Amino acid sequence: MEKSKKVGGVKRFFLEGAALIMTAFLFIIYMVPFALILLNSFKMKRDIITNPFSFYAKKGYSLENYIKAFEKMDFIKAFGNSLMVTGLSTIAVIILAAMVAYYFTRSKNLFSTIMFSLMAASMIIPFQAIMIPLVSIYGAGLHALNSRFTLIFMHTGFAMSMSVFIYHGFIKSNIPISLEEAACIDGCTKTQTFFRVVFPLLKPTTTTLVILNVLAFWNDYLLPSLVLGRKQIFTLPLSTYAFYGTYSADYGVIMAALVMIVAPVLILYLFLQKQIISGVIAGAVKS
Amino acid sequence: MGSMGRKKGEKIKNLLIFALPGCATFCAVVMIPFLYGFYLTLTDWDGVSKVKNVVGANNYLAVFQDAQFWSSMGLTLKYVFFSVILVNLLAFLLAYILTNGLKGQNFFRTGFFTPNLIGGVVLGFIWQFVFSRVLVNVGEATGWGIFSSSWLSDPGKAFWSLVIVTVWQLSGYMMLIYIAGFTTLSTDVLEAASIDGATGLQKMKSVMIPLMVPSFVICMFLTLSRAFMVYDVNLTLTGGEPYGTTRLVAMHVYEKAFTSRNYGVGQAEALFLFLIVACISGLQIYFGKRKEVEA
Amino acid sequence: MKFKKVIAIIAVASMIMGMTAGCGSNDASQATDAAPAEKTEEAVQDVATEEEQTATEAETTGEATTDLAGTEISFLNSKGEIQAALEEMAVTFEEETGISVEIIACGAGESPYTKITSAYNSGTAPTMAMLDTTDVVALAKEYALDLSSEKWVSECEGQVTKIDDKVYSFPFCVEGRGLIYNKAAIEETLGTTFDPTSINSYDSLKKLLEDLRAAGMESPVVISKEDWSLAAHQLGFIYDTYDGTTAGSSELIAKLKDGSQKVEDYERFNQFITTLDLLLEYNINGEDPLGALYEQDPIFLADGDAAIWANGCWAWPNIAEAGATAEDEYGFLPFVLGNDTSDFANNGIQASASKQVMIDAVQATDVQREAAKAFLNWIVYEDSGQKMLVETAAIIPACSNNAYAALDPLGKDIQSRLESGKVFSSSFIAPSDHWSVLGASMQKYIAGETDKAGLATEIDAYWTAQK
Repeated sequence: MEKSKKVGGVKRFFLEGAALIMTAFLFIIYMVPFALILLNSFKMKRDIITNPFSFYAKKGYSLENYIKAFEKMDFIKAFGNSLMVTGLSTIAVIILAAMVAYYFTRSKNLFSTIMFSLMAASMIIPFQAIMIPLVSIYGAGLHALNSRFTLIFMHTGFAMSMSVFIYHGFIKSNIPISLEEAACIDGCTKTQTFFRVVFPLLKPTTTTLVILNVLAFWNDYLLPSLVLGRKQIFTLPLSTYAFYGTYSADYGVIMAALVMIVAPVLILYLFLQKQIISGVIAGAVKS
Repeated sequence: MGSMGRKKGEKIKNLLIFALPGCATFCAVVMIPFLYGFYLTLTDWDGVSKVKNVVGANNYLAVFQDAQFWSSMGLTLKYVFFSVILVNLLAFLLAYILTNGLKGQNFFRTGFFTPNLIGGVVLGFIWQFVFSRVLVNVGEATGWGIFSSSWLSDPGKAFWSLVIVTVWQLSGYMMLIYIAGFTTLSTDVLEAASIDGATGLQKMKSVMIPLMVPSFVICMFLTLSRAFMVYDVNLTLTGGEPYGTTRLVAMHVYEKAFTSRNYGVGQAEALFLFLIVACISGLQIYFGKRKEVEA
Repeated sequence: MKFKKVIAIIAVASMIMGMTAGCGSNDASQATDAAPAEKTEEAVQDVATEEEQTATEAETTGEATTDLAGTEISFLNSKGEIQAALEEMAVTFEEETGISVEIIACGAGESPYTKITSAYNSGTAPTMAMLDTTDVVALAKEYALDLSSEKWVSECEGQVTKIDDKVYSFPFCVEGRGLIYNKAAIEETLGTTFDPTSINSYDSLKKLLEDLRAAGMESPVVISKEDWSLAAHQLGFIYDTYDGTTAGSSELIAKLKDGSQKVEDYERFNQFITTLDLLLEYNINGEDPLGALYEQDPIFLADGDAAIWANGCWAWPNIAEAGATAEDEYGFLPFVLGNDTSDFANNGIQASASKQVMIDAVQATDVQREAAKAFLNWIVYEDSGQKMLVETAAIIPACSNNAYAALDPLGKDIQSRLESGKVFSSSFIAPSDHWSVLGASMQKYIAGETDKAGLATEIDAYWTAQK
């Protein structure tokens, strides 16, 4: 919204200053825990526990936690697994959800109404309530566990409702039907209209959903722990299991592992930021 | 005739191409296990035994006798109420500020988003330290009574600790959705409003908020469902302590099913939870839609 | 165009997946307990494509031969702190026998019981599972292999758990609990030598604490606020000390359940509260007992800010991380009850087999079961197994034929007590929610939110509500 700042010089200046100060203040509060994790990931456990807020570390700073985490997690392999699972799940969810949402907004029939309500309702099913039935069906019933593809399939199914829900809202309020009609005069099929006209216009929403879904898949622990039983196919969060004892946890290593797990998502986020901004331009084109 | 038939064929083709893949995946992963889970609530299955007998509504009757369930439901309602309001207020404000061309807004956005990346044991560890050590140190230095003892050892303050951490975690997430909403708002509308001489506040009230209703509906719904389901933060931050006073409903259900080994009752309670959340968010969406139409 | 093709493929693939899952689950919903239908298995092999074969497939390939080399088995570990050690042991075991053991960990915040429940439901049960005694009792009759005729049963006499006179599990380790003391901290504060056997009554403990405070150690005791510590370990003493046997504690629990024994009329409970009150008076977390942090507690002990921590031998890794070394003198004092110096509870500490390993009798093949038995025998009889159990995993073995000495002071103390008989080995089999329900009651008590009578009422109510 860069263009809209033109009225009210001095007042505007102060308002912006106040907003900046307030945001910066909140920002610091928000970042404190993350900064602590970064700081403590270089410290030894005893120093972490005695005072995680201190910059002074008796035993000094070292990269030891990172090295240990990297080796014990079999980082490269786990990273590859995570990348594959997250990547394929995200692509599947985005495309399928956008199509479903498009169908729901444009074809008002009984099927759409029922499915849409089911999806909305399903978002409030506690995962614990379907955990055991899920493993009974896919494990004892279908013998499909211990496979990354099953996990991708399940991720897609679980993430479907939220993505459809969000797409649905934005298609309805932001994609004028006149645009599609115009495209159809040129002789587009519905599939072509969707992929050439509608889907590109959804870019800001798509970007947001990519972030939200990647985040959810990348960090998920419970579902992968039910589906992936063997080390070779462990994702990153699963491979940190060795750092947790029954009565204590190896905090330094866990934090180092967390930093390494989180970094790719943060980088992706920074990269996609630009896409969200350029979405403004895409949004302006439509009218 | 022919065109009618073709139209019908076209409709079915659209259904198959657009809706079926997504809907089928969803049903296979979510709905079928859910229905099977419902069947399990009608049995006396303990979660692992090979024997299960159909016992009808017994588990549902047991839910009504489980006073703990209803008290944690009450607590959860209170928690949801404050979380939803605070999360959305903060997320909306942040999104507004961060789509207005503030210096370094990308940097800020990333910062507000990071809490989402931290979960599990580390989250609990860091925040436990904040509430039981840092705040106590602040209390000692300043003499402020509110910080004199650990927030996690007092039922009232432990509750607010949960709300604070939830707001910290979720507001960045909801901010993203509001940002998406703001960026898809047509710039022209806002410019037109500016030219008409609308001030920031007027613009906000009469132009932006009505146009943002879809985002509100989505975010309210997501916050509602997240807050009702909250388990991770509850487990790692307070673990239900002190003495079981901060045990929110999802945690109670989980313990009922697995720690107390009353799988059927736990599952039935999960369904009750589902129904309650369904009613509340149904109402919320209904009123949201009405607002949307009015705007 | 290429893009479109990809989409089409994904769409079709997911449709097939959706459909096969849809039709298969009908069978599944009724057939979870029966053997899986063959046709679904076929369908899935298409879907799960070239993915690594599942555990069940591995089973069918293993023909019934006497040679166990090449067999693949799995072991569910519920002691997170020995995960790495167990993996090392598995490597050595495979080198010696050719049997490969995969060690499965319980994740953070995942209870072993939930893990085993979902494993049985999904048909991927581990060949061996290390569980708490109450979990084994819950599963034994349906899922555990009868191990009564194994040779080690006689070796581990006194530590095996019997269910209807049959042995379903191997006692993996002995754990003991009491009041952990830091000898150096006591001696430095008092300026004299400290003889732990001198603490054998309430009065002697009281005198020690008074002396420590007078000599400058203001709060010599650490009481952790965790519900499992308060309920299962501290309150647990009232059941364990009924007469020092498991049968005795079961007898007491039966009386509590039918209401013929009220806990407030039970002498051990009154003694327990008296001692607990004493400990709380000197608690270093005293001002805000529920503000204690489990990670901080061992640091008080190791730094000598406090000298006594009510806990068990599993706390050693925490104390070591807090700065103690294996050469330092730590050990156990009894959780004294009353003033009778000849009372067994005042002369010994509670120590019993606490983790049980059961072998799956339902989903594993015969060969896998034999391989699992071989693994247990390796731990009990082979020199390398014995050595690794004690030295690599820092376990106190339950079987008396293992002569390796524990490496850490708490383990050493328990070993020497086992030899001299200064232990009572009762282990009360609590319902699985005992620690969480009565843990909350105990927290209320130590926070001063309820009094002795209130606590007693809650304990009575808990037991009479059990079936």
